[in-house]
Formats: sequence, structure tokens, C-alpha cells
Amino acid sequence: MVDLTKIRADFPILSRKVNGHPLVYLDNAATTQKPKSVIETISNYYETLNANVHRGVHRLAEEATAKYEDSRKKVAKFIGASSPREIVFTRGTTEAINLVAYSWGEANLKAGDTILLTIMEHHSNLVPWQLLAQRKGLHLDFIPVTKAGYLKDPERMIRKFRPKLLAFVQVSNVLGTINPAQDLIRVAHEVGATVLVDGAQAVSHLPVRVKELDCDFYAFSGHKMLGPTGIGVLFSKTALLEEMPPFLGGGEMIKEVFLRESRYAEPPYKFEAGTPDIAGVVGLGAAVEYLSGLGMEVIRQLEEELVSYAEARLAKVKGLMIYGPRRPADRGGVIAFNVEGIHPHDLATVLDQDGIAIRSGNHCAMPLHERLGVVASARASFALYNTKEEIDLLVEGIERAKKVFKR
Amino acid sequence: MVTDIYREEVLDHARNPRNRRKLSQPTAVAQVSNPLCGDTLSLAVVLGGNPPRVREVGFEAEACVISVAAASMLTEKIKGQTEADLAGLTEKEIFSWLGGALTPSRVECALLPLKALREVLKEANLK
Repeated sequence: MVDLTKIRADFPILSRKVNGHPLVYLDNAATTQKPKSVIETISNYYETLNANVHRGVHRLAEEATAKYEDSRKKVAKFIGASSPREIVFTRGTTEAINLVAYSWGEANLKAGDTILLTIMEHHSNLVPWQLLAQRKGLHLDFIPVTKAGYLKDPERMIRKFRPKLLAFVQVSNVLGTINPAQDLIRVAHEVGATVLVDGAQAVSHLPVRVKELDCDFYAFSGHKMLGPTGIGVLFSKTALLEEMPPFLGGGEMIKEVFLRESRYAEPPYKFEAGTPDIAGVVGLGAAVEYLSGLGMEVIRQLEEELVSYAEARLAKVKGLMIYGPRRPADRGGVIAFNVEGIHPHDLATVLDQDGIAIRSGNHCAMPLHERLGVVASARASFALYNTKEEIDLLVEGIERAKKVFKR
Repeated sequence: MVTDIYREEVLDHARNPRNRRKLSQPTAVAQVSNPLCGDTLSLAVVLGGNPPRVREVGFEAEACVISVAAASMLTEKIKGQTEADLAGLTEKEIFSWLGGALTPSRVECALLPLKALREVLKEANLK
């Protein structure tokens, strides 16, 4: 049995007050809070071993490098990669996807090729492909979304469009839908496609095993998984990384540099030009350790129970419309909704007066909102430290908002 | 207790917006949007006289309480004003109509109608 009080005590920010009320933080899909262990690991890094990595031969440089590479090993193990060499550190999911678009995309796609995406993509898994398509004359096609919030006939669509690249989100940041990643990847490989998975909303909520998924690229962010902002990961298979041209050029990513040409380092270093976010990487290692300590299966079970409770409570609110799958097993830690007659921004402002933090807007998914037929939505998103009492407070807050705005 | 940005006057303007209508023959129309949430607001004016004054004004919006209330208040104030008068209208004034208790992230919502007004005047001058 997991002791939620103990877990909550690990997150210092959860004890602060907002507008005189205890903070109820339900904006975890935007960014999660950080446990003490992550915060302390980062300050400890700066206080005791700050040095540049992979350069100096002095003691601090060696210790910092060891700590940096130790995080790479932890991350590799956490997502079930075959080797730490498959882990490239980036600034976040967005940069990881852009890296693939600029490096793999430029080298492997040609005019007339198709990239298949879905309508439920976050802008970060849409705009980089639009830019690439414009540069190279590619087609963009989209797997539609059903009214219930699932991908519509995804396997048939993959066979129909025979894309060179399939890029999709594992867990939607609006609908919460958990897409059948393994099946989609298998079918995409059957038609010869390369597959990128946006794992930003999956990696701290579900057990992720990239080797079993067999995806070619998997991108995610540290700050949505209890880690610091400014750090993210691109997983890719070693053979692919070896073939890919560099993305950014500079120090760290080279073997030898001459005036007119250079030889590049082996992956993953080939893709880590410049001094990396060392403290970020070290902090991410601590976040992975925290999540692994509890176990991702346990976290998933906790969150599924919580989401199921939240859905049941919200469904009873009159005039409230929930988007996305109604089976908790198909939903990650996200519930987007609208309350009849209340703009999501107004709802979020009223809830903020009670210390409750939710997101309102289009959540960087404008095309999906168009599909839903709304301009914006409100979104409550959960993490392992949220409680049923907090969901009760959310429901009370929504009822209060209904009173404020009643006509 | 937080100062309530949803005080009765604001809510009244949002529930019963003044001048929320389509003008049949406007001098100019401008549509603006709030990239944060995708809200849209369009403002139409009929200008006439010398110097030209706002004879009629109407707005249409798919927007939050703050934007709609600010638009309603703005349309009431600008009727009969000349372009010179309108140029003197400040952001601060709009905040004061709303009661001045906006949180930073809602400032954009409050200023959406002013953005529309500036656009519509630009549009009118091009004609």
C-alpha cells in the first residue's frame, strides 16, 4: 500500500498556499512538481561537483562526467532501451522532434513522400513536420479522431497512406487517450515506415519499454516527469543514430576538426553539441530514480484509480462535458472538459481564487479543438501525488463557478 | 480574500452586453483573436461628421467574461468620440472600468477590445 501522505511530503511546493488556500495542483500535464531529492541533487551538483563534462582531466571534471553518464544509464534502463548509447539528451520533447525532422527527415525524405500524423498531436509534433514538408515538398496526412476520442481506423490509415514516417502521440495531452502504440508501430513497420512516438504525457504515467514498442524514435521531456525544465530525451536505435547526419554543430559532437571539414563523434555525442545542461541531466537522473523507487506499475495503478474517481465525480456535474475515452483503462492522467456557459479561462480564474490550478485554453492542440468543435477547454491533469480530496475540491470549485456565472 | 474580478458590474456587462450586434453598413470592421485561448472578437464602427465621430458601434465575440465585459464597456464609452479622443484611450482606463483586479494572465483578455478598436480605426483610415 502506498502512503500518499509520505509521497506528498517529498514535494515541498505542495505545502504552499495560494490565495489563502492550500495549493491543489492539477496542471501536471503542463509540468509536474519536483521532489526534494531532485531539487537537492541539482543544488548538490552545483555545490560539490560542478565542472564541464567530457573535457577536463581534473577530478571535478571526471566526477561530473561520471554523474552525467550515470543519468544516461538510469534513463536507458527506465525506458527499457538496449543501451545508454541510444539516449540523446535534448532541451525537451520539442527539440527531440525537431532533431529528428532536421537530421533524419532532411536525409531520408524526398519530394512526394508522405508523413502520417494524427489530429490529436500537440503542436510540437505537428509544426516541425509542417516546416519539413514545406522545405522538401512532402505530403502531410492525418489519422482522424472519433467522437469518443480514439484514433479512427489507424491501422487501415497506415496501410492506405503507406507513409515514410508515422509520428504520433502515445498519450494525448487533451483527450488523455492512450493510443495502441505497439500495434501502430508494427503495422507501420510492415509498410516500411519509420516511427516516432511523442511520449511526453506517457513516460511518467505508464511503464514504457521502448524495445518492446520497437519504435524508431521516442521523445520526452524531463519536466513532465518530476525532473527539471530544459532537459529532454530522444531515444533512437543505435543503427539509426549512426546513419543520421548531425543536427547542431560545435564542441562535444566532434572527433576531429579541420578548417574546412570535421569528423563527428559517435552517437549519442554526435547530437549533443555544446556544453549540455549538466545539472538538468543530473536532476533528471534523480527524477528517474524517484519514479523507479515507487515503480511505474504502482504509479499507473494509483493514477488510474484517481482518474476514474475524477471522471465519475465530474460526470455528475450538471452541464459539464468530458472529452476523450470514458474507459479509465484507455485514459492517461488527463481530463479535459467544458462547463456549459462558462469560458474555460473564467473557470480557471475562479478555481485559482480557491488555490486550484488547472489549465485552460487549447493546450497547444488547436486542430484537435477544432475537431471537438470548441475554441478552448479546461483541463485537470494528475500526477502520483494528487488525492481524491483534491478532486472533491475541484468539483466544489466548479459548482462555485457555476454560481458566480449563473444567468 | 482575493479582490473579485467578477464583480457584479462586470458580470452584468457579460450577461447583457451592450452593442453586441452586427452593423449592416459599417465604415470598417476588424477581427482580432487571443492566441492564448483562440477567442475572437470583431468590432464594427460607423464613422460620420467632421471631424469624424463614432456614430454607431457593434461587436461580436466568442470570448470569455472579461473580454465580453470589456468590449461592452468600451462600446458604451466610445460612442460620439472623435479619433483624437479615441487615441487618448489607455489600457489603464480599461483596467479601471473592470475594477483593476485582473491577474497578469487575464490582461490579454481585457485588452482584446482595445486591440480591435485600434485595428478598426486603422482600417477606417485606409478607406
